[in-house]
Amino acid sequence: MSDELDEIQAIFFEECTEGLLAAEQGLAAMQGGDTSPKTIASVFRAVHSIKGGAGAFGHAALTAFAHRFENVLDEIRAGRIAPTQGVISVMLGAFDKLSDHVAAAQGTMGLPDDAASLAALEAILAGKDVAPAAPVEAPVEVAPPVVVESSAADDIDPFGFEPVTVAIEDFAATDAAPMLPVDPEWTILFAPSRDAMANGAEPVLVIRELEGLGARVTDVDISGLPSLRDLDPEHAYLRWTISLPGDVGEDQIGDCFDFVAPDSIVEIMRTSSEAPPPPAVAPAPSAVVADVPLREPGAIHDLLHRVEVASPAIAAAAASATATPAAEGSAKRDPRTADTASQTIRVDLHKLDMLLNLVGELVIRGSILSDRLSPADQQRVELPEQARLTREIQDTVMSLRAQPIRQAFNRVPRMLRDLTAETGKQVVLETQGETTEVDKGVIEKIGDPLTHLIRNAVDHGIESPEDRLRAGKPAQGTIRLSAAQKGARIVVTVADDGRGIDRVRVRAKAIEKGLIGADAVLSDEEIDQLICAPGFSTATTVSNISGRGVGMDVVRSNVEALGGRVDISSAPGRGTTFTLVLPLTLAILDGMVVRLAGQRFVLPLAHVIEAIRPEPGQVRATTPGSEVIEVRGTYLPVRRLTQIFGLPDVNTLPPEESLVIIVESETAGKVGLIVDTIDDRREVVIKSLEQNLHPIRGLGGATILGDGSIALILDVDALVAPLSRTLTRGLAA
Amino acid sequence: MSMTENAGELKMVTFALGQQTFGIDMRSLIEIREWAPPTPLPSVPSYILGVTNLRGTVVPIVGLAERLGWTPSEIHSRSCVLVVSIAGKQAGFLVDEVNDIVGVQEDAIQPAPDVEIQDTNVIAGLVQITTRGNDGGTAASTMVLLLDLDALTVASTAVAGVGAATIATPATPVADASSVAATGGLDIAA
Repeated sequence: MSDELDEIQAIFFEECTEGLLAAEQGLAAMQGGDTSPKTIASVFRAVHSIKGGAGAFGHAALTAFAHRFENVLDEIRAGRIAPTQGVISVMLGAFDKLSDHVAAAQGTMGLPDDAASLAALEAILAGKDVAPAAPVEAPVEVAPPVVVESSAADDIDPFGFEPVTVAIEDFAATDAAPMLPVDPEWTILFAPSRDAMANGAEPVLVIRELEGLGARVTDVDISGLPSLRDLDPEHAYLRWTISLPGDVGEDQIGDCFDFVAPDSIVEIMRTSSEAPPPPAVAPAPSAVVADVPLREPGAIHDLLHRVEVASPAIAAAAASATATPAAEGSAKRDPRTADTASQTIRVDLHKLDMLLNLVGELVIRGSILSDRLSPADQQRVELPEQARLTREIQDTVMSLRAQPIRQAFNRVPRMLRDLTAETGKQVVLETQGETTEVDKGVIEKIGDPLTHLIRNAVDHGIESPEDRLRAGKPAQGTIRLSAAQKGARIVVTVADDGRGIDRVRVRAKAIEKGLIGADAVLSDEEIDQLICAPGFSTATTVSNISGRGVGMDVVRSNVEALGGRVDISSAPGRGTTFTLVLPLTLAILDGMVVRLAGQRFVLPLAHVIEAIRPEPGQVRATTPGSEVIEVRGTYLPVRRLTQIFGLPDVNTLPPEESLVIIVESETAGKVGLIVDTIDDRREVVIKSLEQNLHPIRGLGGATILGDGSIALILDVDALVAPLSRTLTRGLAA
Repeated sequence: MSMTENAGELKMVTFALGQQTFGIDMRSLIEIREWAPPTPLPSVPSYILGVTNLRGTVVPIVGLAERLGWTPSEIHSRSCVLVVSIAGKQAGFLVDEVNDIVGVQEDAIQPAPDVEIQDTNVIAGLVQITTRGNDGGTAASTMVLLLDLDALTVASTAVAGVGAATIATPATPVADASSVAATGGLDIAA
């Protein structure tokens, strides 16, 4: 049972992560000037969901903070507080605290000090215009109750539910002024799905939350209750009829049902029992099904038709319900939540990988099976059809691993806020191409390099506001983060408009650190590349942010480990751009299958320039053990894999009978590799060697060929790097 | 852990390697495969014979005899590979012949004395088992060397057993939490 709870709790934290993401995007949009009700509502909904879940799991501190945050959002949503830049910046601060609170609830950090943020939120609430200034959202309702309700929101309430005082004051108001037109009461029919409790959607919590709004349970239908013998204590059998004061906002009621299980029946309607029906147009009996995830939007209509209508007058109105703006708004809202609820599913990445392995195996078994059949049988329609289906499954499974790169980008704004607070620099972030889809594995691995690059940009790139103004630039620096797909590669750039790389200082530092000789002649690009050298740092003081000299080195090695590369371009006084060129997927590689000493290897096609069958004399030994090949007038070093790997050199063919594959490497430029033959060119699925062994220098992994055997994938850069270094050192000596 | 397993009883798979009989905790065994030449790897110790394809994952094959410092096993018709899971990683061990599955009381396992193996750390303990004679006749007593798989992990071999802790006490189960508990049963390729 506690395991189950842990599991549900884990889901809650995943939802928190998503909620935080949505809230942050919304807040960023608001900061950028988009204060549309839709955006504000998205932030509100996210924070509200976190609060609700936190309450259910007893995370009191998180619940309390989320509640205060939500109060302010609610006021903004209702149009009672204007979302000025000041207010938004307080909310961004509150958002950071909320993230910290979530982390604290997860146990990954201690409870954050949220006093300042709370005070700022309170200040916003206190300073708000209490006058009922144009309640944007409320339908054609009479204003007074709204005022009462909003003042109640000021009350300190450590827990997430709306204060009961609302109801009491409302009743008082009704008593004191009976002549006021009163909204008809709400009647709610609530029948939780049978397995509501198994889903963690405890109906009692919903009813308590409703009671917090002043609800009374008027009837409990126990007809569904089986005899004790058949009773499953984990099932929900009851149906409740609940009445609520009429002035409670419909969205407030809807919010209570945020966490009900799918398939629950929730019907919310106005009844006319105590008050005369309001003027014709007024609150239409917009029977709204709360945020119950629906399979398809069409279901809304079905539900609308299922509304039980209390009086003929309302029945007439109900008939036109879909046409009224209120109902339309709700109908619009619901399919959207339904979309997100029904179209995504969380899957353990491990399971996807397992699926991918199994499908790969299926392909292999299929081709082995095909080989065993007679050629006539191989052509039968069943077999090709099956092969096609298998391939489709394979492609689909691969695509499941693709995720928008937003997931890697979304930690940046928070970090930037911390960094600017720490350094006093002013930086605005522009992002582009967040929807670019990349393999999940790539996303996971570029987080750290991105963090380093952003830190570097703020710490070394962007100048202080004074310096910037002096240089004739706006005080506020800009960091542009963008992603785009180019062919089979993803290009991620981090560009700042700061001071650029100080090449004189970089050079001096490199000489001081012994990375280059004092008289070395280096191009600007080569100097820029020096900042990626291990142990290099130009920061005069070691700051908290960067300057430990590991940053850029780590960036480069991480990116190269992914099969990508880092390009640097910098213009003095105008800024620096780091470009990460990454593979689209870590799982598939376009490769050339070559044969060498009886073994098959895969050369990544991205590195292959050409294959040459050398003429006699085209490959020449320069020293014993090193050879060069002459290609159109240029001499390129030649490597024998048998030597590099220490493979048995038994039947090494003379160069004329083997092939020289010219490869382009990051580390040593163009190099020729001698192989026996080329077998095939194909896409291969990369299998890691680390999973069960350890990384092997010179190998990028392994793959399983069509016959079920394994071929090793060559890591060209690593293969040729050490040798070329030895070569240059040898020349220098 | 299956319910039929008695408290304090350890199920182990015994196999022959050279003249010796070895045992491993059955909970870490995934399957037993017929020998097939693996794909050799460059720049690895000689006892890593290569890698093979186990249902889509790449698994290293270790020559257990070489790993333990003996002359390499000769391949013959009964040679097989024990695929085990050690601390979440899978590896296949080439052995001469798989013998039996036996249950032993954990308190019957004696600590390993200084046996003639390069690093004694890989031996978790010694245990006497009674084997049925080939002709169903007299029962013979055999000494089984119980291997400490954790000490044999391919990764830890890089430090040549230096990092491996002191000789495992007999009470310590050979493989722990991460073992696959022989869920699939024995999958002996005929």
